[in-house]
Amino acid sequence: MPSQFTAHVDANRSLGGGYVVLEIVPDDGALGEVVAGQFVMLRGEWGRELLNPRAFSVLWSQPDGRFAVLLKAYGKGTTRLVETKAGDRITVTGPLGRGFHAPQKGVTQLLVAGGVGLPPLHLHARQAAAAGNAGALELFYGGRDRDDLVLTGDFVAWGLKMSLATEDGSVGVRGFVTAPLEQRLIAARSAGDKVEILSCGPTPMLAAVRKLGLAHDITTWLCLEEEMACGFGVCLGCAVPMHGARPYQYCCSDGPVFEGSKVRWP
Amino acid sequence: MTAAPRTLAIDEAKVDLRTRMGKLALPHPVLAASGCFAYGQQFADFMDLRSLAGLSTKGISPLPRFGNPLPRICETASGMLNSIGLENVGAEAFLAEKLPFLRELGISVWVNFFGEDFATYVECARLLEAGRGNGIDVLEMNISCPNIKKGGIEFGTVPEVAHRLTRACVEVTDLPIVVKLTPNVADVVAMADAVAQAGAAGVSLINTITGMAIDVRTRRPRIATMYGGLSGPAIKPVALRMIHQVSTALPELPICGMGGIMTGEDALELIMAGACCLQVGTANFARPDAALAVRDELRTRMAQLGIATVEEVVGCIRPLPPEAARTEPT
Repeated sequence: MPSQFTAHVDANRSLGGGYVVLEIVPDDGALGEVVAGQFVMLRGEWGRELLNPRAFSVLWSQPDGRFAVLLKAYGKGTTRLVETKAGDRITVTGPLGRGFHAPQKGVTQLLVAGGVGLPPLHLHARQAAAAGNAGALELFYGGRDRDDLVLTGDFVAWGLKMSLATEDGSVGVRGFVTAPLEQRLIAARSAGDKVEILSCGPTPMLAAVRKLGLAHDITTWLCLEEEMACGFGVCLGCAVPMHGARPYQYCCSDGPVFEGSKVRWP
Repeated sequence: MTAAPRTLAIDEAKVDLRTRMGKLALPHPVLAASGCFAYGQQFADFMDLRSLAGLSTKGISPLPRFGNPLPRICETASGMLNSIGLENVGAEAFLAEKLPFLRELGISVWVNFFGEDFATYVECARLLEAGRGNGIDVLEMNISCPNIKKGGIEFGTVPEVAHRLTRACVEVTDLPIVVKLTPNVADVVAMADAVAQAGAAGVSLINTITGMAIDVRTRRPRIATMYGGLSGPAIKPVALRMIHQVSTALPELPICGMGGIMTGEDALELIMAGACCLQVGTANFARPDAALAVRDELRTRMAQLGIATVEEVVGCIRPLPPEAARTEPT
């Protein structure tokens, strides 16, 4: 069950490439158990200039309540959060939304990540590794260049198979991560492997991953991001176009993880 | 030389927050605002809903609506724009599925409603009449949402049309109808007067102000419908001005004030401008228990200023003295 509590920044770790990990310690209360893909709404002491909290997937969460998010400066809110220092106060609401499901026996999960979309897949891999299931996961991780791929050492430590792609070719294959993903889907088909895709990243990447999933008839779970004010199903800002009786569902409360075939994208 | 501070403060326990909106008695002035509180349930994880004076539901139409294309919201300086499109479950589902939860709370339940044309407004009021004595305390008629297209603008901007619409709705229900007015008019007093003459039990002031935001990188509007409703602290001065204009011109007409309330001090400003009760809206998104925080801060601020009752400060403000008198002690 989500709650709202005050917390403070315990550490602000730069990973290079503009990426920052904020480690947050609750003053009272705790996040509780977090499913990979669930998110928190964070708001600093912003007065009246910036009103709404900002949504971030949980990168990790500990039983004592400490947790972390990964972020990059994009707009005014993320810029302020990137600039926070240890001791700065943060209001937290979470954990919110519905996350990914754990690996099922006999089905390999292909995790496809890009940019600040890494955290839900990182947490998913961490949890699977802790449950002894790392062998059921493979990571496909894409970015612009070397600095755009972060925390890859963790996946190595957990024993995941990894395929990296960069647009400048500085690490892994040159180009988009969808290229090695497609090769993997083709290989899976000829080998008769059962696979599914779990993906989070920039929307154009997710759209391309969804199309690949549809083309290869592979179940694809997309962890989406939309602008949201509240994070818990009230403002109705974060609509996601869907097939079916309801033309829109809500990223915050119905998602953020949606099955790709049900999302009404071109 | 510094004058000794006046010792005004009273004990917070002595502050009486009770207020009235016409015939409606409230334990304190702070309700949660329509469109920013859904149908209440989501907030139960975060707060004791029974501590609210009341809440106004998401706007209800006779039939369900699915809302506008995205993007629907964007943040602006000290505010946000929205164009949700009045998405709601429809009157029938509201009565069957949402109202029972609200009824159990024992707080003042205001059902915000609207139609897409004259007939569906009246139809909605008629349908919601079924909730009288069954959980609904007030119908808050929204004649001001910028986010419906079918000629809806006339209901909120032409006094004669608003008058006829209000009268027609008042005739089909015994529930008090509070009319939520738009700030997007030249003469808000004329609008308030028109609905008061038609039998409105009060007015809610103000709805969002029509606005726009642009993404200069893409040369496109930041919300899909081009224009949307601006809310948040950015609009509070406009709310104050309109509440003051209406309360001054129509002192008998109860006003529920709203527009950018974030703190107890904001609440007190709106009360002093003439509001007998308040709705907290956009602030709920940042902090689900915002309305209760506002109530607590209001009590604290009143105690600091030696104000014992809400009633004594509703519409209490006086004009500044002439310039020549500014050097005299107040």
